[in-house]
Amino acid sequence: MGSDREDVLKTIAEMLAAGLETEVEPFPETDKEFGDILIKLRQLGPDDLEGKLVIGGFVDHPYGPEQQRCMECMYFLVHRKWCDLPELAVPVEPEWWCRLWRI
Amino acid sequence: MANLLWLQGGACSGNTMSFLNAEEPSACDLVTDFGINVLWHPSLGVELGENLKRLLDAIVSGEVALDIFVFEGTVVNAPAGTGEWNRFCGRPMKDWVADLAKVATFTVAVGDCATWGGIPATAPNPSESEGLQFLKREHGGFLGKEYTSKAGLPVINIPGCPAHPDWITQIVVAVATGRGGDLTLDEFQRPKTFFTSFTQTGCTRNMHFAYKVSATEFGQRKGCLFYDLGCRGPMTHSPCNRILWNRVSSKTRAGMPCLGCTEPEFPFFDLEPGTLFKTQTVMGAPKDMPTGVDKAGYIKLTAAAKAASPAWAEEDLFVV
Repeated sequence: MGSDREDVLKTIAEMLAAGLETEVEPFPETDKEFGDILIKLRQLGPDDLEGKLVIGGFVDHPYGPEQQRCMECMYFLVHRKWCDLPELAVPVEPEWWCRLWRI
Repeated sequence: MANLLWLQGGACSGNTMSFLNAEEPSACDLVTDFGINVLWHPSLGVELGENLKRLLDAIVSGEVALDIFVFEGTVVNAPAGTGEWNRFCGRPMKDWVADLAKVATFTVAVGDCATWGGIPATAPNPSESEGLQFLKREHGGFLGKEYTSKAGLPVINIPGCPAHPDWITQIVVAVATGRGGDLTLDEFQRPKTFFTSFTQTGCTRNMHFAYKVSATEFGQRKGCLFYDLGCRGPMTHSPCNRILWNRVSSKTRAGMPCLGCTEPEFPFFDLEPGTLFKTQTVMGAPKDMPTGVDKAGYIKLTAAAKAASPAWAEEDLFVV
């Protein structure tokens, strides 16, 4: 992983550890709701990292009764530790989760 | 010599265009190598007006044998069941179809419209369209469930929007050369030789499917199109990645999700507007799983596949 990406990953980890309140709920049950969140994300500035985390509903631990994790999400690139959803495009840890989780 | 007649109902001519691009065998090969006599075809026939009507009457009366009746497009019943919206040679096309199907040795439906109604039969179906022997998944269609041609076979359905040209010509050759009895059909009367495997069979993105790496934008050469971009390859029966289009490619090979056009539901009228190229999900999991896979198994498989995926699965393998 490049140093820039590592720096961003560290920054995100610190923000989440510091208790950043994100919109974990409601989980988008349908594609319409999923699409509405993507629309909000597209309206953010390109460097608005906090906005991505808040609207995406990031947490730094597995979530829900099934303990969902980035690790199983289809957007997660395991070796790059990267979320490949274009609207997010951020480095993430496999044990994290966000409400745009899809399998 | 086998006489072939090709007519169009509610059609866009897409299957005709596809047929004329056939290569193995070509449309010309049908005539020169396989002894097929094209009695008439909308783009190839030379008879017009009264001459064509005389020909059709001669076929219906049995004066001219009809070995293969190919129909493209829907049977149009509007308005109010009369079929007057689609007149041909002095009468509703549906009346010609009814008469010709009775005297045909083999009846072949080409394309989604002729097989199960396709796009015209999508609700609210203003043209009251139906396929020859199906309306979407409902068996029956215009000719009814019990219809069989003189050879004893039901309508041979070659779906697709359009059907691949070689599916058409290869079935026509099989029938014309006396091997029609060897054809085995699936529950939707599609030849099993073409429609048992899936569009995914032979897809170059299968390794990305296996390792659960998704294509998230059009134009990406890495990643599977099923997870995010609405590809129906894992649940659509077609040989699109075995018998390639133009001999070189397929939708998925070119980065275009499979639309599932060989299945009766096409064009999937349960999709919400704007979601055609977006995989439908319920609580984060695909609404339509690959055929034969349940949700619990899918989740377990995903976890294992992600954990086992090699680094190259995340790279663009096709960089020149």
